[in-house]
Amino acid sequence: MLALLNGVLIGTSRAVNGQLSTRTGPFRASVWNHVVGFVFLTTVLLVLHTWPNASDVPVAAYVGGVFGAFFVAVNSYVFPRLGAMNAAVLVISGQVLSAVAIDCVQHRTMPAPARLAGVALVLLGLCLPRITAHLRGKRDTEVPTEN
Amino acid sequence: MTGRAVDWLLALAGGVLLTLMTLSNAVLARYTDAVYASWAAHGLGALVALILVVVVRRGRPKTPGDDAGRAPLWYYLGGIPGAFVVIVSAVAVNSELALAGTIALMLTGQVVFGIVSDRLGLLRIPRRRITAMDLLVAGCVLAGSVLIVLGGA
Repeated sequence: MLALLNGVLIGTSRAVNGQLSTRTGPFRASVWNHVVGFVFLTTVLLVLHTWPNASDVPVAAYVGGVFGAFFVAVNSYVFPRLGAMNAAVLVISGQVLSAVAIDCVQHRTMPAPARLAGVALVLLGLCLPRITAHLRGKRDTEVPTEN
Repeated sequence: MTGRAVDWLLALAGGVLLTLMTLSNAVLARYTDAVYASWAAHGLGALVALILVVVVRRGRPKTPGDDAGRAPLWYYLGGIPGAFVVIVSAVAVNSELALAGTIALMLTGQVVFGIVSDRLGLLRIPRRRITAMDLLVAGCVLAGSVLIVLGGA
């Protein structure tokens, strides 16, 4: 239940950022998202008193914030243009496909058969509108010759 | 049509960015904890986004959508549900769902919420009709993603 709720929270956050982006542009939407999130999490950390010891963290581990800033800008830009469902489906596709690719490179192994089937299914889903449009086009041109 | 193709590619690229972000945030969280990792990522993200705004504005001196004053207050609060995600994930991953189950359900929640909010125009987003094809695409991508998540390395 919590995990499902989390998906809803993600969707809400992206929708709200997308709405802001239509008024202020995607980059400002990204700034507000991060500033508000930062202030909120600062409060959480202060209230919970759980500041971990971060002295031996490699600097490279902080690079995630940079990707995050770009991600929110990109997502806020496409969200109002594609709609909530399409944006969610496409971002998820990019996410899982790149995750499989990165795992492959890191471990230097082929993905498990179940994963390959998953990749095929995702790609099929993405191509489905094109495939059916193609088939429909073909059928339309074939119909006269069949008659 | 080409504009739409660009939007598609951008959204897919957004997913790649998200993977890279998750990868690096996970390293940070391993050294510290999930909330701290998200806090640091938000702080740095704010800085980077601010730089981007300045750089973009320099390239284009006239900012077109400067009617920000008319945006309702809650438009600015997208960061709060975003920040909650981290905390809720940390709880869910530590439950009996484990990581793969949590991710699979999170993806499902995102897609279902996307469909519902498109349909009903939740959060004042424009209402869109969901066609059978949309559902088929979402179903394939979701099923494929769940297979990838649960399929192991």
